Amino acid sequence: MQSSQTPPRANLAGWLCVSPLVAVLVPFFVAPILVVLAASFFATDGFGGLTPGFTLSNYIEVLHSALTLKLYLATIKFTVLTWIFTLIIGFFVAYFLVFHVRNQLLAIGLFLLCTVPFWTSNIIRMISWIPLLGKEGLINQALLATGAIHQPLEVLLFSDLAVVIAYVHQLTIFMIVPIFNSMARIDKKLIEAAIDAGASRFDIMRLIVVPMSKSGIALGTIFVVSIVMGDFFVVKVMSGGGSASVVSAFYEDVGVLQYPTAAASAVLLTLVLVAVVSLILRTVDIRQEITR
Amino acid sequence: MSAVLTDMQGAVAPATTKAIAPSRGQRPWTFYVLASLFTLYVLALYGPMICIYILSFQDIRGGLVFPMKGHSLHWFVDLFTQVRTGDVKGSFDRSIKLAVIVTIITVVISFLAGLGFRRRFAGDAVVFYMMIGSLVAPGLVLGLGTGLLFQALGLNASWYTSALGAQLSWTLPFGVLVMFAVMSRYNRAWDEAAYDLGASRWQTIWLVIVPVLAPGIVAVALFGFTLSYDEFARSLQTAGSLNTLPLEIWSMTLNVTSPSLYALGTVTTIISFIVIGASLGTIVLIQKKRGSRAKG
Amino acid sequence: MTIERGDIELAGVCKSFDGVTNVVDGVNLKIADGAYCCFIGPSGCGKTTILRMIAGHEDPTAGEIVIGGQNVVGLAPVQRRTAMMFQSYALFPHLTVRDNIAFALRVRGLSKADRLRAADAMIEKVRLTSFADRLPAQLSGGQQQRVALARAAITEPRVLLLDEPLSALDEQLRVQMRQELRRMQQELGITFIHVTHTQLEAIALADLVVVMEQGRIKQAGRARDVYAHPHDRYVAEFMGGQNVLSGRVEKVNGASFVLAQAAPGGIEVPLQARAKISVGDTVDIAVRRDDVTLVRPGQALPAGCSTSLPSRVLAIEYQGYFVKVMLDAVPDDEFVAYVPEKTFFADPLNVGDVVLATWTTDRARPLA
Repeated sequence: MQSSQTPPRANLAGWLCVSPLVAVLVPFFVAPILVVLAASFFATDGFGGLTPGFTLSNYIEVLHSALTLKLYLATIKFTVLTWIFTLIIGFFVAYFLVFHVRNQLLAIGLFLLCTVPFWTSNIIRMISWIPLLGKEGLINQALLATGAIHQPLEVLLFSDLAVVIAYVHQLTIFMIVPIFNSMARIDKKLIEAAIDAGASRFDIMRLIVVPMSKSGIALGTIFVVSIVMGDFFVVKVMSGGGSASVVSAFYEDVGVLQYPTAAASAVLLTLVLVAVVSLILRTVDIRQEITR
Repeated sequence: MSAVLTDMQGAVAPATTKAIAPSRGQRPWTFYVLASLFTLYVLALYGPMICIYILSFQDIRGGLVFPMKGHSLHWFVDLFTQVRTGDVKGSFDRSIKLAVIVTIITVVISFLAGLGFRRRFAGDAVVFYMMIGSLVAPGLVLGLGTGLLFQALGLNASWYTSALGAQLSWTLPFGVLVMFAVMSRYNRAWDEAAYDLGASRWQTIWLVIVPVLAPGIVAVALFGFTLSYDEFARSLQTAGSLNTLPLEIWSMTLNVTSPSLYALGTVTTIISFIVIGASLGTIVLIQKKRGSRAKG
Repeated sequence: MTIERGDIELAGVCKSFDGVTNVVDGVNLKIADGAYCCFIGPSGCGKTTILRMIAGHEDPTAGEIVIGGQNVVGLAPVQRRTAMMFQSYALFPHLTVRDNIAFALRVRGLSKADRLRAADAMIEKVRLTSFADRLPAQLSGGQQQRVALARAAITEPRVLLLDEPLSALDEQLRVQMRQELRRMQQELGITFIHVTHTQLEAIALADLVVVMEQGRIKQAGRARDVYAHPHDRYVAEFMGGQNVLSGRVEKVNGASFVLAQAAPGGIEVPLQARAKISVGDTVDIAVRRDDVTLVRPGQALPAGCSTSLPSRVLAIEYQGYFVKVMLDAVPDDEFVAYVPEKTFFADPLNVGDVVLATWTTDRARPLA
């Protein structure tokens, strides 16, 4: 009983219900984005004052800077590495919970165990690596004690490695949840049928589980990619200032009141992000996926 | 995140038969490999956090790494008394107040939006993608935009105006997405049955929809509170002169190198755990109550 | 304005969801007060939409729905004095049996004591007293159905609308609940309108059977009329129990006509009321499967039989009190004989045997 032409009354009721949502999103999402877009075309006096006008010089400056390429490469490196690790860990954790834990209550309990840290502070979870990865941290202490190394490893904390570790630590949850959801919907009879048809464990994974978890993977990827690309404090803290990403450079620019160039770089980043996300969205109907 | 709640609903959770791991008898070798991976993951998830909780209970000689130097509550006292660590108490108050306001608004707006999205309406996709956009947009950029907007309009940025709005742009998408998952378990025939029995629109909402969805609504509240309480990137440029707790922690990470930082981590995590525990407890309680009344 | 009677009239009722195709296409029907009416048809034939329009959950695109002498289009279900029993019941999952049943009274603002008293009386009527404090999820399918019935009946409707009420139950329970529905209907003395896709259910229950196809009524009448005297090929095939044969009229003589067939002499069919048949027309006829007699070649035909179709036995299914014998008597249509068990086993047939299928001439009927 689906109607292709929605009656006007239903339209009105629908809009009435979402109007408070729109009333928040317009001033606090749409307008700020437009402000940043506008600011990217403004000139500046260099002391935080903005001169309304239209100039492309901010973009030219950003695009001409050798730093920009470096920042994007660093951002892409972090994004790709984080994506790969969160995907592998998230996929197999979800797979374990859905297909290997026999007791359903236990599965839900273990699932919650994985999700609880999501509801706690990211910053605290990040700095909690210090006692482990630091120069005198537990890992170095352990390695020294076993004699595997003679000098403490400096590379553990305040390095790109630490940045990736912190990302994976924070973001794997965003892979687990949607993939778990997709997998839980796979009819177990399908797998029994595949076993009856002589499929191996690998075949089942390749032909049934992975294709049917695709939407969950896509959803998780959107989360992970957009968060890593939009992050600045993990890079700033965990790299010890040694690395930078697009947004952390943006943060520095804002710190020294370079609003227009910061805005121009933010607009470029947003375009890249939109392109990546829409690319992913082509493979999955996110709305249908979520509302199902 | 939605699975947490939908599965707590307990209605149609993942099927119980595990074809790859037969429901009885010998487990395959993959089980042990994956179980180890899972254990390692959970250890890595909680291990570091537990380390800083332990280290926050050192005495005055304490440092940022193991081994423990004595046991005391020194750094907790230090946290709330020392000026150099900043206005922890004030930011703590503000964060809790802000989180409560955000929670209430998030629950109401998400619930309404959930009702609205049950049916397709002209332009629904615009609202939907606006929401997704708000979710994936870099928080710092949005925060800066909001800050500049307030500046341009001649308004003062403060935690209860600009930061409140900036946080809602983060909590609402989550709240609505959770409502989607919850609503997908809601049978439209219940609405029709209520209408058939003479209930008005409001009676249907209060006597049927809200109580049926109660566990999901608690979950939305959980998201609203914890996401606001821990929100950082969007608040940074919008909170004005007075800090929220995550901003306070942020500034401490940049200039405090004592276990005070860990003590603050312990305190804020305890608050989070209380909220999580209370929410999950409420959900379980609602389910239990429904289950046990049956035996009467 | 209050509606006191449960007689219903549908006049030119149409419903379109997309503005292009009519799901319900010009339906006219009168249902007497206190009747048990079954709508039957394949899924998508519009029967549920009609039910929902009578209930007030959909508005007709055109036409009038009159209950108790009043046009109810646009009125809320409570004003129509209708109540609906939903498919799979739609019991409120968070309310106990008692609270589910008392729901209608609660939204009317009755005091707690009053509504619980009324609900308990109703619970007793449907024999659920020991389950009053249970939640729907803790009830069996049959118990849930009784709760749904009680919840609808407590509003004292003049018309009760049931959307496939038995489809969620298993076979044995279905037969049992069927009787219970009929008993409740007689006890309440109100009009029941029941949508189903099961022929047996319709003819067992209904005073008025309405057969539908693609939004139109194909035939409406008493159960026995619809089953024994289907109006056309569609109704005959849908209601079952009939062999439908098609052929060209070879000659018309007095009270009967002869249909050309491979069989010697063709098939003789009484004209009955259907007079407008002339030579050369293509006509469908129906013969009830239990009217067909099978005779071994060489044996004499029973008295009154003028047609015999030589055929081969294709398959045999034992059905308990009769045996279903499938034959290749006619080239394009299925042809089946229901042979009483005793008759069959007196001289059992085997697949591949050649027999003559015959019937008393006056049992054949021309279809529209």
